[in-house]
Amino acid sequence: MTLRTAGRALRPAGRAAVLAIAATAVVFTATELLPGDAGELRTAGRAAQEDVATERERLGLDRPAAVRYLDWLYGLIRGDLGHSLAGGRPVVTLFAERLPATVVLVAAALAVTALLAAAALTVTYLRGGRGGSAATGLAAVPQPVHAAVLGAVLAGLLGWLPPVSLLPPGGSPLADPRLLVLPALTLALPSAAFATVLLRGALGDVLRRPHVADARLRGLPAPLVLHRHVLPFLYVPVLQVTALLVGGLVAGTALAETLFGYPGTGQLLVSAVAVRDVPVIQAAALLPAVVLLLGMLLADLAARRTTVPGDPGPSVAAGRTV
Amino acid sequence: MTVHDHEESVPTGAPLLAAEGLTVRRALDGATVLPPVDVRVGPGQVLAVTGASGAGKSTLLRALLDVLPDGLQRASGTVRWRGVAVSPGRAARRWRRARCGWLAQDPGAALNPLWCVDRLIGEEFTGDAATRARRVEALMHRLGLPPALASRRAGELSGGQAQRVALARALCADPELLVLDEPTSALDRATADLVAEEVRSRRGIPGRCVVLVTHDARLAAELADRTLVLAGDARPASGADAAVRHTTCATAAVRGRMTSASWKEPLRPAADPAPPQTGRPPHTAADPAPPLVPVLSARGLTLRSPDGTPLLDAGDLDLPTGGWLAVTGRSGSGKTTLLHALVGRRPPAAGQLLLHGRSLPAGSRLRDRWMLRAVQLAGQDTVAELNPAHTVGRAVARPLKVFHGTTGTAGRERVRELLEAVGLPADLVDRRPAALSGGQRRRVVLARALAAGPDVLLLDEPTAGLDPDSARLILDLLDRLREDGPAVLTVTHDADTAARADRVLHLTGRCLTPRPHTIPDHTPDGRTEHSGVRPHDG
Amino acid sequence: MTGAPRPFFPGATRPPVSVIAALVLLVCVPLGRYAAPHPPERTVAAPWALPGGRYPLGTDALGRDVLSRVLAGGTQLLTVSLLAALAAAVCGTGLGLAAGWSGDRTARTVRALCDLLLAVPALVLALVLATALPGAAAVVVASVLAGAPLTARVVATQCAQLRGSGHVHAAVERGERTPAVLLYEVLPALRRLVAADAGLRLVTALQIAAALAVLGLGPQPPDPDWALMLSENLPGAALNPWALLAPAIPLAGCAWVFAAAARTAARAPGEGA
Repeated sequence: MTLRTAGRALRPAGRAAVLAIAATAVVFTATELLPGDAGELRTAGRAAQEDVATERERLGLDRPAAVRYLDWLYGLIRGDLGHSLAGGRPVVTLFAERLPATVVLVAAALAVTALLAAAALTVTYLRGGRGGSAATGLAAVPQPVHAAVLGAVLAGLLGWLPPVSLLPPGGSPLADPRLLVLPALTLALPSAAFATVLLRGALGDVLRRPHVADARLRGLPAPLVLHRHVLPFLYVPVLQVTALLVGGLVAGTALAETLFGYPGTGQLLVSAVAVRDVPVIQAAALLPAVVLLLGMLLADLAARRTTVPGDPGPSVAAGRTV
Repeated sequence: MTVHDHEESVPTGAPLLAAEGLTVRRALDGATVLPPVDVRVGPGQVLAVTGASGAGKSTLLRALLDVLPDGLQRASGTVRWRGVAVSPGRAARRWRRARCGWLAQDPGAALNPLWCVDRLIGEEFTGDAATRARRVEALMHRLGLPPALASRRAGELSGGQAQRVALARALCADPELLVLDEPTSALDRATADLVAEEVRSRRGIPGRCVVLVTHDARLAAELADRTLVLAGDARPASGADAAVRHTTCATAAVRGRMTSASWKEPLRPAADPAPPQTGRPPHTAADPAPPLVPVLSARGLTLRSPDGTPLLDAGDLDLPTGGWLAVTGRSGSGKTTLLHALVGRRPPAAGQLLLHGRSLPAGSRLRDRWMLRAVQLAGQDTVAELNPAHTVGRAVARPLKVFHGTTGTAGRERVRELLEAVGLPADLVDRRPAALSGGQRRRVVLARALAAGPDVLLLDEPTAGLDPDSARLILDLLDRLREDGPAVLTVTHDADTAARADRVLHLTGRCLTPRPHTIPDHTPDGRTEHSGVRPHDG
Repeated sequence: MTGAPRPFFPGATRPPVSVIAALVLLVCVPLGRYAAPHPPERTVAAPWALPGGRYPLGTDALGRDVLSRVLAGGTQLLTVSLLAALAAAVCGTGLGLAAGWSGDRTARTVRALCDLLLAVPALVLALVLATALPGAAAVVVASVLAGAPLTARVVATQCAQLRGSGHVHAAVERGERTPAVLLYEVLPALRRLVAADAGLRLVTALQIAAALAVLGLGPQPPDPDWALMLSENLPGAALNPWALLAPAIPLAGCAWVFAAAARTAARAPGEGA
């Protein structure tokens, strides 16, 4: 019995592990196999052909790609992410400095997302599962627009906030919470709209179930119907969507942090891309993927505990955050 | 047995539940869905609401309880409970919760699948936990639910058990008004008996009443003190009163019987199980086979459902030239599977097919073009049968091109002829299926099958989903078509359709057995229609 | 039957405004460049001038006319997004049809591939690709990698369902070849789904293109581009907010309209390509 339970828990874990390794392969392939490598870049135009060759040899780029991938993967497992090509500091140290700021930012954004999405979904529920085309439109608007409008209004027209969230690297973002507002809202607005779109579908599915119509017909008041007959079916979709959102938020920090000068891992990724600092790019790109997979795994495990066999539960429409 | 109130038309005392002039309209276009209806249910009474499907029985029930679906609205009328008006909205909701017990049409599906049985039954019981537990236990015992079920979730119950749990839930708070929507249509026999027993036991108890919606006139006569009959035609002119509606009802019934008699006449001789195919000469001169060789036959046909359940064991079947064979059987007995085997969609588990006496491969991929052309199927679901993206003209023209190479002007001309042959106006060629009615779609499917120029036309429930008039037109059309065209094989559970065939085979118990013609039973409407109380006397 | 023309789609109660608007935008935005009153790349006045006079929306950090830059700034963005969306829709639909038609095993393989590609967020994928590819190419490749799996998943499910429907069986039983059945029977029946999905892919592509441009990995500075203008004019939010809002509004409008059109196309009966 316990063996079986363990087996059932292990299968999604195994699947997540396979996907994680596959994600490393995707990231590695994208950075390594495409034309132009770090050897050329570091010597960019200034050096002769031989210098490029020497540089490549020094960086180990002359070995076959498969060998380099396995080498990198092995380092990844040991917690060694290599050294930054620009500056030569260990990638792990770079991340350790910036990760707390990003964690705080993502947590704040997630909290705002949850509040906004809950409010929007409550309205949807009270309207019987209809409406909400605004959420579809809002979710479609590119994130830079959210950033620009928020910046123009809150910092420009109203002057409530500083237009940039400059923070010394390693400094605590909690020291001046005002710096958090613009990047967190920029992240939260589209992701709340996206969550609303996804969960609206699941909510509609549940509301169309016969037992909900039956509960209304028996005269139960709306809050009781929600609490007893609707919410229990939404736990799993909410977990899945949360996993999706956290992955998306971590990815979105690249944009929000860069625009507002907030020193987190997202900004690190963008600056690394600008100078083609491959080890940093690889690590920073894996971070949201791993967060997403971990979240999905947790949602998957929780789903096994809260659903009945034979009842598929409401579905979350296919979708993704940018 | 309780005392039956015979003074049916005179309301006795103050009614518990009363409604006056209850009218329901569609919100979109204001069309009347339910013309004004009065309802009175006295203490201890059982009111049955009957009528044909589409007459508005469920709508009336939902209007009474103020739970009309989106798009319908109560246009006028009041509902009174113990003489006090129940206004729609919150008051109606509170009234439902406090006074009504409700058993839905498919009660098993209306249970929250995550909840345990004891919680489900006792959900709305007001009282302390111990009393509730005793009440739930007693109810489960009374309805034949073993106590071990109490901790099962609804998703883990069998269909019959779930239905009993739903019944127990409706009875748990001992509601003053018990409302049952088609209680016997989805229920198994034993549960239906339990429901009937519960209704009977409440009859005559003061302060309790029952409203029962059913299309089963016999059940209504058996259980009800009063019967409200809704006319079959749900589109009466506004302001239609009871008299008018009763007249339309009566004429409809008479017309139905007359027409059925008139077209039944020529087939009467075949009513005795005489051999089929008497005096029907072969029509197609080009037919390569002599008249005595059947167009299509099956020998030792063995069918299984996709999940492996045997449906037919070594059945034989012969379809003579110009003949019409009907295969009847319950739903799920394998009628459609039989057609799919003949057309090569799902090869049979065993057996041999013969086309004009020659062997016909089992799978459609193995058949050559001549064989594919010869056997054409017109399926049941007209929505799925036609590509939503293709116009009528394109759907009919394609087989012409594939099988006969007819394209261009000749093709368009032939499409027109075919549409005409199935009784469709030629200006329909540019329509897509979404712009057609069900009957029109069915004719397009027929035209597409005929376009191939088949020797055998297989039809799956050709009248399903059609109103009686359209159904009769389709059957007349088939009769005409086979005069000089393909042999016809229909599978159907509809007695009217089967009655048109030369020969009827009944698929039951994994056997195909010949069955004599039976005259379709039109009587229930006529017999019980007006046995109840005049509903609109107030 | 005669007289007044019957509505062609009886279910459609109102014209698909959003679909028409989306098509109009796709045609008009690239033409905006020719309506610009000033050369969009040239300095014409003092920096951060407020709206008024010859410059209805003021000027930006380098004193360039904001209105001209906005009119000219959508061409590249929309072209690249459209290309990316088309590529994603075509790849995804092809993959989905193949998976849905061929049944279990292929479907499972495609599903696994989709799960894998969905595990990496689209923006990150685009950023990583931008290390090695020019911005526009990165947008196209990232859109295909991020969007095609979603399209494939939806199309495969529907295609598998359609396989059992009467008209597809009828085509097979006419002896039509599989590619012909897929092209002439299955695909037309899925046209609304594919059109709606292509709309969503367009939105995703637009988001990716805008993000890359804002991060400086797309069009380079003198070029007018809505997204690039956002990052250029953010520091001057207090000086001339219109320099920031003017490009934000058409960018948001395009995305909003495309999303609404996709939603309409998915819903309205009979509406589609």
